[in-house]
Amino acid sequence: MSDHARHNTGIVTATHVSFRADSQTLLNDISLHIGRGTITMVLGHNGAGKTLLLSALHGLIAPQTGKISGPVRDKQKMVFQKPVLLRRSARDYFKFLCPGLDDATTESWFEKAQMDTRLSTPARQLSGGESQKLALIGALASQPDLLFLDEPTAHLDFESIRFIETQITDAHKSGTSIVMTSHNRAQAERLAEQIIFMENGKIVETADAKTFFSAPKTDAAKIYLNHY
Amino acid sequence: MEFLTPFKIAFSLLLAADPELMGIIRLSMLISLSAVACSLAIGLPVGALLASMKFPGRQAIIILSNTLLSMPPVVVGLIIYILVSQSGPLGWTNILYTPYAMALAQTVLVLPISIALSRQVFETLNGEYDRLFISLGISRWQRIKTLVFDARVALVTIALACFGRAISEVGAVIIVGGNIRHVSRVMTTTIALETSKGELGIAMALGIVLLSIALLVNVASQFISAHFKKAGLDV
Repeated sequence: MSDHARHNTGIVTATHVSFRADSQTLLNDISLHIGRGTITMVLGHNGAGKTLLLSALHGLIAPQTGKISGPVRDKQKMVFQKPVLLRRSARDYFKFLCPGLDDATTESWFEKAQMDTRLSTPARQLSGGESQKLALIGALASQPDLLFLDEPTAHLDFESIRFIETQITDAHKSGTSIVMTSHNRAQAERLAEQIIFMENGKIVETADAKTFFSAPKTDAAKIYLNHY
Repeated sequence: MEFLTPFKIAFSLLLAADPELMGIIRLSMLISLSAVACSLAIGLPVGALLASMKFPGRQAIIILSNTLLSMPPVVVGLIIYILVSQSGPLGWTNILYTPYAMALAQTVLVLPISIALSRQVFETLNGEYDRLFISLGISRWQRIKTLVFDARVALVTIALACFGRAISEVGAVIIVGGNIRHVSRVMTTTIALETSKGELGIAMALGIVLLSIALLVNVASQFISAHFKKAGLDV
């Protein structure tokens, strides 16, 4: 399938989505179309609504108005900025994330993440980088059609960032659509194909990554790029 | 009687493993452990359900179980007595003045503790895990199973708290058990009876056993909490 055709086949569509809490509009009339097999990066300042947008698209929160359509529940996964770690070993936690995997496959994923010595370690005793890697391989092992990543490399060391970016690229090559947020401009430039730029709960600009970084259309995006 | 005499008699009875004394201790343990098992079997799923789901009548159950926390044991004993006496709705069971009635009374007494404490633990865990559960689209049953499994350390502490309450209970079990020798005589009821007769030795021996059990329960509770906190498995 050509790139153009691939992008036109949507994996997620949102139409006039708004979400309010405590009499504040946190997502304001969001309409978007995310192409199948793409890496879409949601950018914006803190509090712009990036995490909330991912939560709404993934179905973690129910917007008061609008419509969202996407893959069925077990075909989409989300990796949170701070992984939710269960009180069990790393191996058991991994199996909870993707039930039905045999021991050999489980161990091969841990080897891939260079965590094969941490199989029996309680998940909550892993370092920040290790727990983020565990959450990511747990999501990828079930081969989702759509993967949401909320700042997956925030506060991580270089090695962990490199591993996570490699996994994202590999998943993308095997056809997984990825929607992620990041505050790292260099990372966004390395990975993104499409950009959604948000401010105050609204999408103010959408563009392909090259165009966005070389010639942003809106003043808000220009100011943002000057800061990052 | 000298002040130290009851202590001397108590230690000699304990060291000699007096058969009657051992029988009383065995029956007390059996009744209280049964009551704890029953209260946990009912209380934990109810606690998990109350913590993780909204349904009509939820608030009423919470208020009722919290109210029962402060229910006087003698009132529980009286209610169970009325229920299981010959003319009561459970009279056909013929369990009045048997260890079964005593276990039932202790279960009713500790059930609100197991519901209230487990609900608190499950609410904490459910709040923490909720977005993961939604993200993975797991069923209600799997949610409850996960909460119960991950709260296992806290649940041991809850079980110990329930046991401590059950083993030290006297008011309810004396009403429904009747304190019959070799049938329904437990440590607390024996202490009450022997003290009233002036037989302070056997009463003190059982007092020492009860205190030792309380000490063991607390030490075990502290040890389990500290050990699992270190392993990152605490709630």
